[in-house]
Amino acid sequence: MTCIARLALALALLASALPAAPVMAETFGPTGTPGTGPAPSGPVFRPTSPGTPAAPAAAPPAAADWGNSQVDIAYREPKDPQFSPIRERLMKRQVLEQLRLFLSPLKLPRKLLVQTDQCGADRQPYESGGAVTICYEYVARIERMAPRNQEPGGLPPELMVVGAFVQTVLHEVSVAIFDIFELPVWGREEDAADKLAGFIMVQFGKEVALKVMIGAAWFFDASDRTWTGNDFAAVQSTEAQRFYNYLCIAFGSDPATFKFLVDQNLLPVRRAQRCTAEYYKLRFAFIRTILPHVDQQLLKRVQSANWLMLDNPK
Amino acid sequence: MVSLNVMVARLLPMNAKTIAATLTLACAALWPLYGAAQPRPPELAANSRVAIDYIDPRLQKSQVTLDRLRKRQVLEELAMFLSPLRLPRILRVRTKSCGQANAFYVPSEWSINLCYEYYENLEAIAPQGTSPQGFTRDEVVVGGFVDAIFHELGHALFDILNVPVFGQEEDAADQISAFTMMQFGPEVARVTIRGAAYTYLNSKNPRTRTEFSDEHGAPAQRFFNYICLAYGGDQVTFKDVVDKGLLPQDRAANCVREFQQVRRAFAKTILPHVDLELMKKVQSVKWLREGDGRK
Repeated sequence: MTCIARLALALALLASALPAAPVMAETFGPTGTPGTGPAPSGPVFRPTSPGTPAAPAAAPPAAADWGNSQVDIAYREPKDPQFSPIRERLMKRQVLEQLRLFLSPLKLPRKLLVQTDQCGADRQPYESGGAVTICYEYVARIERMAPRNQEPGGLPPELMVVGAFVQTVLHEVSVAIFDIFELPVWGREEDAADKLAGFIMVQFGKEVALKVMIGAAWFFDASDRTWTGNDFAAVQSTEAQRFYNYLCIAFGSDPATFKFLVDQNLLPVRRAQRCTAEYYKLRFAFIRTILPHVDQQLLKRVQSANWLMLDNPK
Repeated sequence: MVSLNVMVARLLPMNAKTIAATLTLACAALWPLYGAAQPRPPELAANSRVAIDYIDPRLQKSQVTLDRLRKRQVLEELAMFLSPLRLPRILRVRTKSCGQANAFYVPSEWSINLCYEYYENLEAIAPQGTSPQGFTRDEVVVGGFVDAIFHELGHALFDILNVPVFGQEEDAADQISAFTMMQFGPEVARVTIRGAAYTYLNSKNPRTRTEFSDEHGAPAQRFFNYICLAYGGDQVTFKDVVDKGLLPQDRAANCVREFQQVRRAFAKTILPHVDLELMKKVQSVKWLREGDGRK
């Protein structure tokens, strides 16, 4: 309860800058009860409900136009029934369907299976040519770590769960993208995947960036532990390093919005000074290596969609 | 102190200890086999776009360091070593006094700056003979200095050649260094990798959480990164790092993959800027010589 308390406090200070957002427990957006929530102000991806609500402005794309046809999805039945509720929640929220929509601009040269499964561990590393797997164990850990009740002035627990979940999904997908497009990856691959995920997370406007980045950082903060000896041989960076890397991407991408990270001393000034340069290097790497594989028209549609239902109802 | 915005500094472990000797510079060949001084191949010309400079030290005590580096023709050999590289502009490489044990690349002037203090620090931290873990003084001085040069060269290449870097650039520069060390045969690889690894093995790791905000990996992480790439690149020559338990099995299992990742990145982003014929020549040169690493 160190950093996160301050983080929560800092975010609370921003409360006035944020809309009283509709809840975000709905991972990746609305669930199967369209029309009951506040009407979103922008187009919303609703894969299963053609002819549903209120997607003003530009005509909403027909569901069939969306979704990456190269992405297959599966919610695997867990062997251990304790994970069944998690599977059901993910299915109900259509997490993988939403991801498939989210990935629609990506011109994949081959099929990519994205699945949720019981792994016997927190993570199941991606193998070249294989599937992306999100482990029920990891989701359970995220849910376990989120505080049960919101502290006064603190972060809503849903926010933490959503941010951490989005981070891990995009991280795993990033590793697959490196492999599928045979991209040159300099630096440790795990860090590279964290950074690509973070870069994607800040491409959807201020509010999404604020929420998912803080949620992701929270999770690493809460997972922090002491590293000694051979712990440092791990392919992943320490939780503290990942925490700072996320804050640095956030600050580098939008120093005005994330100024509070420095003001509150969550991100040390010495590192913060380099974050803009770090962010532009990351952005350059994305433009140089990934953008050529992206359909720009679809990308714009994805970017204008209201993934987290964060907009003020009108 | 150069402004943070202006330079990509390589902060060497502050209390790194390192050592002394004659340096070598670039890389290549048989170090333990040195017989009589190996003549340099006359046909290898310096890269005309590499400008070298030994700058007079601010403190008299560094004069001896400068003299040693100059006598060993460290920068002259580096310019030859870099001959296969097609550079769009002049890359400056200089040795100088910095006021701290460091080496750094300054993007605004395309310069690699190697501090006399860093070399002196290597001499100070190197074991007198052989360390308890079996590292020799020569390895540490030679490998440590070659590592500083290659690491900064990595930053320079990323900048000058517009290389996309997804991960942490500091780790990427370490990968350039380790990967380059592996291109000149087993003996060079042993000396340079082990020497570089020693400097990280003997540096203090972050103790507070805030210290983990540094964009450099912890020295222990860098140590494992070097020996992992070495093991991944040559499991015979570096078999002992696993046998002796320096590299834990869990990590060792991933090292071939890590080496291939770096090789692919190198092939896609650096190799297009390299003259392959000249590179073969450079690889055949015996860069390390008898007495390298010694006063």
